[in-house]
Amino acid sequence: MLSAALDRFGVEHGVPRESLVDLQVALDEIVSNVIKYAWPEGGTREVSVRMTARKDAVDIEVIDDGEAFNPLSVAPPKRSPGRKPRIGGVGIHMVKQLMDRVEYARTDGRNHMIFTKRCILGVPPPIEEAR
Amino acid sequence: MTSGNALTIAESRSGAVCVVALSGRIDSTNAEQLMLRLTQLLSAEEKAVLVDFGGVLYLTSAAFRALLVTADEAERNGARFVLCGVVGQVRELFEMGGLLDAFTIHGSYDEALARLG
Repeated sequence: MLSAALDRFGVEHGVPRESLVDLQVALDEIVSNVIKYAWPEGGTREVSVRMTARKDAVDIEVIDDGEAFNPLSVAPPKRSPGRKPRIGGVGIHMVKQLMDRVEYARTDGRNHMIFTKRCILGVPPPIEEAR
Repeated sequence: MTSGNALTIAESRSGAVCVVALSGRIDSTNAEQLMLRLTQLLSAEEKAVLVDFGGVLYLTSAAFRALLVTADEAERNGARFVLCGVVGQVRELFEMGGLLDAFTIHGSYDEALARLG
């Protein structure tokens, strides 16, 4: 389970709870988007997730071998007053707000979505050691 | 570790109101399960459904989709569908999704029950 893997990563690297929640939401939005749209013809396909902990940020990269598609090109959802909201585009719009950086690249026939959450990782060292 | 991902849907009754208390996470892996349960309640002629988000850690756009479908179904059935316990990070997510005003959301469980009763 992807969210369980991210939970373990969060515990291991001391990711603050609120940042971990933001990352969980973003990861679910990006991966579910890939599963829904990347492979219209079905079959056995590949999606991989790489999580990197830096001193002051977490990077997550989602790579899939589906059709070229940049979710960042999707226009933000429009709300007309008095009209019912439509859900299309809401997920990626949330990712953009939750993350400090979101990038898309098409490399070697694969879609790469990279998103970054800035946060201080791990327990701060005692003052003596920090000097 | 699957238990960490679990969404718990607990149902109870307060007078004519069917109370659905959610806890855990609502994401693309379980939002459909929630939608099925809520729409089943409406099909079973429930006329007032209160969903309490107090125990929810986070939710994604898959959850919003489930809630919008349920709200439509409620409208068709002439039922009331209201939310409470939308606080903290969960409230922020509703706001980011532009959905804070898409539902009837009450400040507290007691207030919601009073309004529905």
